[in-house]
Amino acid sequence: MNRSLVVDVLFWCFAAGSVVTGFLVFRTDSMVRAAFWLLASFVGVGAILVLLAAEFLGVVLILMMAGEMLIMAVVMVMFMMNPAGLNPMFMVHQHRFAVAAGVVSFAGLSVVALTVDFPDQPVDPSVDATAELGFELLGDSMLVFQTAGVALLATMVGAIALASRNGRFGTADEGSHEPPLEIEELESP
Amino acid sequence: MAPGVAVVSVAVAMAIGVYAVAVIDGIAGRLVAGAGRRGVGVVLDPPRTVVLLLMQRRHRTERADAQGWALAPALLGGLAATGLAVVPVDRGTAVADPGTGFVVFATAIAFVMIAVFLHGWSPNSLFPLIGAYRYGAQALSLQIPFLLAMLATALPAESLAVMDIVEAQGDVWNVVRQPLGLPIYLMVGVGVGFWGPLNLPDGADLVGGTSAEDAGTDRLAWEVARAAMLFAIAAMGAAVFLGGWWGPLLPGPVWMALKTLCLLVVMVASRHLLARVRIEPFVVACWAVFIPLALVNIFVSGALLL
Repeated sequence: MNRSLVVDVLFWCFAAGSVVTGFLVFRTDSMVRAAFWLLASFVGVGAILVLLAAEFLGVVLILMMAGEMLIMAVVMVMFMMNPAGLNPMFMVHQHRFAVAAGVVSFAGLSVVALTVDFPDQPVDPSVDATAELGFELLGDSMLVFQTAGVALLATMVGAIALASRNGRFGTADEGSHEPPLEIEELESP
Repeated sequence: MAPGVAVVSVAVAMAIGVYAVAVIDGIAGRLVAGAGRRGVGVVLDPPRTVVLLLMQRRHRTERADAQGWALAPALLGGLAATGLAVVPVDRGTAVADPGTGFVVFATAIAFVMIAVFLHGWSPNSLFPLIGAYRYGAQALSLQIPFLLAMLATALPAESLAVMDIVEAQGDVWNVVRQPLGLPIYLMVGVGVGFWGPLNLPDGADLVGGTSAEDAGTDRLAWEVARAAMLFAIAAMGAAVFLGGWWGPLLPGPVWMALKTLCLLVVMVASRHLLARVRIEPFVVACWAVFIPLALVNIFVSGALLL
């Protein structure tokens, strides 16, 4: 079969799949299902990146999303006090604002898609795109990426420090202790 | 390789691997615990179990997520097939040898937690759900040491392609060059396949955990997919740590099969030799011991190459 035809068919399958699963994220009634639909949507995007010869970026996107979506589902379920994540719920809130934001972002993206002159540069098969990416990340752009990486890490540490001061076993800065196994003797009244 | 040939090769390899896991498990159980069948019965036991499970009635729970329940074993089996596909059998012979083969395998491993979580979440039942969350904690802790231990093997090869990683072990295998790598990899492999001492999501203390509500074909599909995953992990371990096809006298594929079998025996027999660990100390050990050890492994390997 013609190779470029196969690539085209695959592209449309993944693209349509990403859009449909992205839509289902908001139509489903459970947080866990929403997280998994979102994961499916990202897998489609990662597959399109692989088709674009950005093999490493595509596969790494899929790799990272697996862990992220599971953490997201667990955290959502924890915060929503819905231990199983099976109870029906609405995934869409603030309808007016959501509709307005959706229309504006769709219009913006459509304008970009229709007006921008996208580059058409087929990758030379002899170029190892993964190696090129490595040289870029650890060469000219190293300062940018390292700065961004350290800043993100600091943000995460800070967010955890702010959010987790009060734990189940006491405040974090006093050190948390599990309750002792021995039963403390109660003073009789 | 033609798509048809590739699919058939992976399917045949998976079938052999699943059968090997079942037989090794039977023999190990016989030798260690004295339980199970003896003689020819050990070899015939897997088909017997398959027939039994095929005839058993499936179990349904109230308001289950039927699609998710059906998808979970299919996803796990598909991940095992993906992982197997990037393992080279001989020099120049692999179902697929992408330049990012290592990352493809790591992605398959990462998605195992999605499959297990889905499997435990979808029956809408208590014990499977506890198993699902337990595996979430287990897998998130396991996968960083796994990635680091395996990433170290890419350093001597200066490539993420599994074929190059094996090719670079011509003079000395990675198991000698990076002595910390293989033990961490095997522990993670047993954990990813939630087998034996690390069978925490499906453990007996949870009445079967994520598969507590499985019966008949559901259980068969889940067990087959899990065994296939163990086989894929053993095959990859043989390729990246034990030098794959490298070895004297015998042809490459035979060496590859022997090494895979060797790792498979170690992993499968652990079920009969080691007690199951508790999840809390295990998670602590992963973050506090295995990640630092895996980092030391990477730093030492990198320093030796400079």
